[in-house]
Amino acid sequence: MKLSLKSAVAGVAAGLIALSASAAETVKVGVLHSLSGTMAISETSLKDVLLFTFDEINKKGGVLGKMIEPVVVDPASNWPLFAEKASQLLEQDKVSVVFGCWTSVSRKSVLPVFEKDNGLLFYPVQYEGEELSKNIFYTAEAVNQQAIPAVDYMLGEGKKKFYLLGSDYVYPRTTNKILKKYLLMKGIPESDIVEIYTPFGHTDYQTIVAAIKQFSAGGKACVISTLNGDTNVPFFKEFANAGLTSENCPVVSFSISEDEFRGLPAKDLVGHLGCWTYFMSLKTPANKAFVDSFKSWLADPKVTGVNYKVSVDPKNRVTCSPMNLSRMGVYLWKQAVEKAGTFDVDKVREALIGQKFKGPTGEVTMQANHHLINNVFIGETLATGQFKIIKSLGPVAGEPFSDKFLAGK
Amino acid sequence: MGRTIKLREQWILALVAFVGIGVVPALNAWVPADSLFHISDFRINLWGKYVCYAVLALGVNLLWGYTGLLSLGQCLFFSLGGYALGMHLMLKIGRLGQYKADIPDFMVFLEFDKRYPATGGLPPHWVPFHYIGVALIAVVVVPAVVAYLFGWLAFRSRIKGVYFSILSQALTYASMLMFFRNDFTFGGNNGLTDFKFLLGFDLNQPATKRGLFIASMLLLLSVYLVCRWLTGTKFGLVQRAIRDGENRVLFSGYATADFKLFVFVLAAVIAGLGGALFVPQVGIINPSEMAPDKSLEAVVWCAVGGRGSLVGPILGAICVNALKSYATRAFAEQWLYILGGLFIVVVLFMPRGLVGLPDQIKAIWRTRLASRRVTPSDEPSVMPSKAATRTDE
Amino acid sequence: MSHLSSSGWKLWRQCRRVLFILMAPVLLAQNPNSEAKVRKLLVEAVLEADETRQIGLVRQLSQLPDPLVGTVLLAWRQGGVFLFDGPSGPVPFLLETQNDPQGKARGLQLVDGEALRDEKGTELKFQASDLTAADTTSRLRKAIKTSLDLLALANPDPKMRRDAVLKLGQDQDLEILKPLQERELTETNAEVKRAYVEAISFIELASDDEAIRVAAVERMGALRSLNSLSFLQKLVSDATANPKKYGAATLKAARSALKQVQDHQGWVNTVGTGFRGLSTSAVLLVAALGLAITFGLMGVINMAHGEMMMVGAYTTYLVQNQFRAWFGPSGASFDAHFPVALAVSFLAAAMVGLVLERGVIRFLYKRPLESLLATSGVSLVLQQLFRSIFGAANVQVGSPSWLMGNLAISDVQFAYNRLFVIGFAFFVLLLTYLLLTRTSLGLQIRAVMQNRSMAAALGVRADRVNMMTFAFGSGLAGMAGACLSQLANVGPSLGQSYIVDCFMVVVLGGVGNLVGTVTASLGIGVTDQMLQPWIGAVLGKISVLAAIILFLQWRPSGIFATRSRSLEG
Repeated sequence: MKLSLKSAVAGVAAGLIALSASAAETVKVGVLHSLSGTMAISETSLKDVLLFTFDEINKKGGVLGKMIEPVVVDPASNWPLFAEKASQLLEQDKVSVVFGCWTSVSRKSVLPVFEKDNGLLFYPVQYEGEELSKNIFYTAEAVNQQAIPAVDYMLGEGKKKFYLLGSDYVYPRTTNKILKKYLLMKGIPESDIVEIYTPFGHTDYQTIVAAIKQFSAGGKACVISTLNGDTNVPFFKEFANAGLTSENCPVVSFSISEDEFRGLPAKDLVGHLGCWTYFMSLKTPANKAFVDSFKSWLADPKVTGVNYKVSVDPKNRVTCSPMNLSRMGVYLWKQAVEKAGTFDVDKVREALIGQKFKGPTGEVTMQANHHLINNVFIGETLATGQFKIIKSLGPVAGEPFSDKFLAGK
Repeated sequence: MGRTIKLREQWILALVAFVGIGVVPALNAWVPADSLFHISDFRINLWGKYVCYAVLALGVNLLWGYTGLLSLGQCLFFSLGGYALGMHLMLKIGRLGQYKADIPDFMVFLEFDKRYPATGGLPPHWVPFHYIGVALIAVVVVPAVVAYLFGWLAFRSRIKGVYFSILSQALTYASMLMFFRNDFTFGGNNGLTDFKFLLGFDLNQPATKRGLFIASMLLLLSVYLVCRWLTGTKFGLVQRAIRDGENRVLFSGYATADFKLFVFVLAAVIAGLGGALFVPQVGIINPSEMAPDKSLEAVVWCAVGGRGSLVGPILGAICVNALKSYATRAFAEQWLYILGGLFIVVVLFMPRGLVGLPDQIKAIWRTRLASRRVTPSDEPSVMPSKAATRTDE
Repeated sequence: MSHLSSSGWKLWRQCRRVLFILMAPVLLAQNPNSEAKVRKLLVEAVLEADETRQIGLVRQLSQLPDPLVGTVLLAWRQGGVFLFDGPSGPVPFLLETQNDPQGKARGLQLVDGEALRDEKGTELKFQASDLTAADTTSRLRKAIKTSLDLLALANPDPKMRRDAVLKLGQDQDLEILKPLQERELTETNAEVKRAYVEAISFIELASDDEAIRVAAVERMGALRSLNSLSFLQKLVSDATANPKKYGAATLKAARSALKQVQDHQGWVNTVGTGFRGLSTSAVLLVAALGLAITFGLMGVINMAHGEMMMVGAYTTYLVQNQFRAWFGPSGASFDAHFPVALAVSFLAAAMVGLVLERGVIRFLYKRPLESLLATSGVSLVLQQLFRSIFGAANVQVGSPSWLMGNLAISDVQFAYNRLFVIGFAFFVLLLTYLLLTRTSLGLQIRAVMQNRSMAAALGVRADRVNMMTFAFGSGLAGMAGACLSQLANVGPSLGQSYIVDCFMVVVLGGVGNLVGTVTASLGIGVTDQMLQPWIGAVLGKISVLAAIILFLQWRPSGIFATRSRSLEG
């Protein structure tokens, strides 16, 4: 392909003009999700849903009359790179808000940057809590919005023995620590709680499954799993092959949403449980509209109003809780900006507190502790990769600090 | 390579020092932000990071380019240096953390006060790190000791070549798994982060970042000078002889294991120093920095820049990382192709890296001019290079 | 066949079908109003305000052989029975399973199965999320569950029956004892019969009669029932703490039964650990064998070895999808995809290996350390390529039915897929051995690997042999990938999780030595599985790595060093 110099110059000039023309009417918004490396598997979907939401908003006239202009960067699952990209977004691109991060360590890595530059970050993935930054809004599920309700449910089902299984990193360790405390409070003896961890990327669950088999032999046992996405495949394959089922030993997983399900052996997971603040199978009109318009957007992905080339993988796409929380974050921010009448971070932050949004699961409210009051559901996995909602637990106020919510129990 | 530094090189060094330590910080501090010549705080910070990587690359080069030891575990030492300073920085956060406690947040949450009641929750080995002096000593000593132990075991039993590479990779991999554990008292997967002060300076202040940049530049220059001096001595000559034919050196009566051990420890110390300056600039250190692919990347910087020369690794580290910063923003989804392609192209077509490129082009040009009849050999345009590793046969 | 029906819903769908067939004549012969009766009882149960009476009704329902009971009880327990505020009080109803395009469904009244209508007679439609479910307390849910388990005793699937029996026993509810004993008489399946004995013993432990308790305990000991372990442990600790309540005879019997069961458990664990170690070793061997060729024999540090495995795994995925399109998602023809996939994966990875060798590796035979760099570049490119083609997420690879489930011999479980991997490891090893020792290509390969220039001088086309060897090694890696898709996840980073282990195996075994590779994988696999129950998976892995590093100090060229006169070979 040869371009003549003239046409190239003309193109560049046209681009510059277009850029300067649109610059006045756009507001830059950062997207900080890994598109390569180990976390790409989860985070790519969040980038997609964010772009979709920007398009949705731009179609209706944008925010304060300005089109949202996405600035997408790839921190490549590399934690120092997360910090670098965050400061690039805030200092170079001067974005008004950033949506991003998946792992806690990535959030920890950008937190100082956001505090220093007084930026605004929306964090959409369930996490261990024990953190509260004035510059971060956690639309994510706190431990008391996911793990505690799930354990309550299992206790209600008459389970007496708990096998806490997790990948060896901070989220599982912390969640299990809180759960253990909670279970002891509920009168489960220490001897009936087992805590086991496996390394990242572990592929051999033979020993652990054999142990679970014996653990559950006396009945009334369940597994609370905080294994991270990838390791669930070998675990569940081994689990099913050992003759364990949701009938004789149900597993509640906190890291498997519909999106992760795409890579899991569905047959092996049938009947096991999940606990989230959103399921794709929710039958509300708002959710149907969300799912349908996301699917039609995937066929023709674009961000209305700005010159940004979107590339997505449209095959077998689903929606899941982190995606819904990402999207609600964008809307909460939009409403707060409109209430404040400005993009100024301090004013938007003030306006965000108490902001309500009627999303696919019903109304959510941003609390003063930067966490949502959100509706919690327990779902049972089906062979289709969807969840059948078996219990709706109603709105639960997110609380990051475990000593506070444990004290209330 | 002469023992004394030539005049031309002196001038270049002086110029680099002047620009790095004088001009760049000055442009950052005193030129107004809207000026064309202004260098933003973000850039200073970014470049500071590159410079630390360049220090690491110099260490890798000392091992690989000059001694023929390809270590795939250099990032372990880099991280150890980083952790050593990071521990001090964690303790200097004071009561500004989430829990307003005297000990770092993760210790409060993991209830270390029950494990270590005597020190108020601080594990005993953390206590000395209240003092910056101890931390600075640890930055040097910890990587050195680990390198000494591993190197002593490895070189004593004459593990070399590929075996050495794979074993060093296993070492860093095992260490990574170890540091991942919360029980290991170094913050688990989240590592050490949210630093506030270094030597009483607020780490978020532009002036502090500038200071760190200058410090990194100074470190780079001193490491360069040390390497320059060392490679010029007789020691350097033995070093290169080991690279080119270890057995002959051994039979000539040199204790090659001791030479290798010294270089390995020195490279570890260099990496540790780089890591220590890296951590306050990026604000986080965690076990992922020990992942095997990070060390591999450091080797690639060397290869890209040109190993066996001192400027090469510096050039390579800075260029590859600048490319990475740029490509992850501009081609967020394709940059792995660029990086991977770069590995292959450099190995196949630029055995002497960027530094060797001018010579290589000149050589090709000369061959072309000399005779157009010569058919190209089935080997690609590989230059017979001084730095080529010894063959296996 | 546990995988076929593990959810309660499926259970019921099956159960209903069979019950219909079995019970149809009975139902017809009975009062034609029996369904109406059942429905009436169900409505009564749902609307009953007193919890104890409600539980009594639920218990009563479990005696009725109508499939409707199971469906409604299950829906009730899961919050699927709703109340409609009719003019004459609340009307319980279920939602039809079919939704209209708005996600709404008709409400079917529990009392007659007819759709709910408003006063004008038009059908009403509801959305599950707008409705309030009929209340259930946790006691009530438990009672419903017990009733469901009792109903499941008639399930045609013996595994389902066994689970139900055990669950009923584990509740230690003396009221259940009689129905269980009655059902035991009609049970024919040996495994389920054993479960009945166990379950009845569990319940009898709660008996006040010491003789019954002791008999139950002795039965447990004689059965060496692992299921009763926790009950026995609890009994021993209770009886020690409270000797008045339980007699000395109970304690004595419990102690000896516990010892019997624990001895049995120890034996099960030992054999199990042995098998698990063997299977881990087989996985390592299968994964590392390709590398033993490319790295061990050829000296190419192939960091893209993991990606060759990834190529094989994705090929399996594609073959499986194709078979699914041809033959549907199950059945013998579909199951045949796996052997085909193994072969195709070999070819696919060998092709990629061929291209890689021609394009990159052949320039680097004299620079082994640099082959490390180039191949890690290749590995990055391949990973991103697969991410672009198949998406960043893992893909779903299912198993043929003959690889699912396990073979249980006296409580030790041998999973079929693990047995397969062990067998496959032997097969691949044999294949490689024969190729290297019994074919002319093998002879040439060994010649070239020993001395490239000498072999070339003797007329061996070294270039071609290199190419074939590398392709063969890559093909083996591809087959390993296909095999591993049955055990673990298939995604762009699949290769990364095996590469360090593979190199460890080859280096530990001694480069260029197949016997060494086998020994090393056995050593690593068995050690790992032996350490895991002790110190956990993380420390186990670290210890194994540390042990390898230390071992190589002692034998720097691995377990089986290739002897050579060359100084720097």
